[in-house]
Amino acid sequence: MIESFRALFAPPRDILLLAAALWIGLAFAEKRSERHGVSKDAFNNLVFYSLFGYLLGGRILFALANYSAFTDSPLNIFSLNTDLFDPIGGLFIAVLVGMIYGKKQNLSFWNTLDALTPIFATLAIGLHLSHLAAGTAFGSPTTLPWGIDLWNATRHPTQIYEMIASLAIFALIWFRKTELSPGTLFLNFTALTAGARLFLEAFRGDSTLIFGGFRLAQVAAWAVLVICIVLKQVNRQKESIN
Amino acid sequence: MLALKRRLAYIFILLLGLAWILLSADKNAASFAGTTAAPQVGFLAPDFSLPTPDGDSIRLSDLRGQAVLVNLWATWCPPCRAEMPAIEKIYNEYKDDGLVVLAVNMTYQDSASAVMPFVQEHGLTFPILLDESALVGRAYQLRSLPSSFFITREGIINEVVIGGPMAEALLRTRVEEILK
Repeated sequence: MIESFRALFAPPRDILLLAAALWIGLAFAEKRSERHGVSKDAFNNLVFYSLFGYLLGGRILFALANYSAFTDSPLNIFSLNTDLFDPIGGLFIAVLVGMIYGKKQNLSFWNTLDALTPIFATLAIGLHLSHLAAGTAFGSPTTLPWGIDLWNATRHPTQIYEMIASLAIFALIWFRKTELSPGTLFLNFTALTAGARLFLEAFRGDSTLIFGGFRLAQVAAWAVLVICIVLKQVNRQKESIN
Repeated sequence: MLALKRRLAYIFILLLGLAWILLSADKNAASFAGTTAAPQVGFLAPDFSLPTPDGDSIRLSDLRGQAVLVNLWATWCPPCRAEMPAIEKIYNEYKDDGLVVLAVNMTYQDSASAVMPFVQEHGLTFPILLDESALVGRAYQLRSLPSSFFITREGIINEVVIGGPMAEALLRTRVEEILK
């Protein structure tokens, strides 16, 4: 079954999984955006402009960082190659565009993040599915019976572990029963995602190692966890003062 | 009281996280990919030896010390045809810096007699290899054509580009990366 899935969504078709995850996330998030004080129109515009900023910004920043590669063939900036892209730079531009739009529309920072959280949650599921299809983010070798054959070894199915964790996180944030204060939904999602990454990174076979074997992603996830806890405390204190 | 309990729970979670980081550290880099051969970024490029249309043969591991672009292609594949001029241009620009291009024709899905006319039509000067028994197709787990593997001087796969045609700028950035 995994082999059929991998054959069906082998790169470059794995991008369809991310597109589907974005579309599903948008449908979920739009349903509840007004609950977070963000109108459907403002929400859709915010997502559209940010996405546009991501795609355009990612390509332009890649071209700027590699300008010498484009001097002979400047029209390549319009190429359909998805590899000519800076995903981190694109994300930075998307956040910037989103913040400018939010400021113009007087959207509350924390409420907007809460409204966007279902998109982040489904994108995480789509990302792990695309990793499974492409065979990236693979696990370390194992003798456990549920190991999968990948890259000439039986490995931990880390993409499936991470997908299950993301599904569970989505269920936790979507089916919650209690009303939460602004920002809590987003911070809970981020903390849970960081916690899952911190735990599951231990089974990865492609970790970037630092300082004698520590896994960089675990250290980063732990730092994110600390930031989330501090921000939750700050928000709680602000709330009790108000 | 509730706030104190919550703070203690947070401290406990963070300490647990730190303990897990220490416990799961990979001190011998045992899980890292770079020691085995597989067609994925970070792994050693699977070795192969294939004949050229002239009857010579080329072995990938003999090219250690040079940066290698392995391009899997077929004459009937439109994006393969479209990217060949860019590959030829980049090859001519960087061959003196140590770039080798191995264009492996998937002969088992193609026609050997179509290869040389294709090479002459496009004026290709880099080595063409014939994969008649799917040796490279299997070793590189071919799923789409064209597929390109950018291999460092140490023999490690640095980048994989599945599908095409690759833009000249993409080829240039990837080639400059493996020539470092």
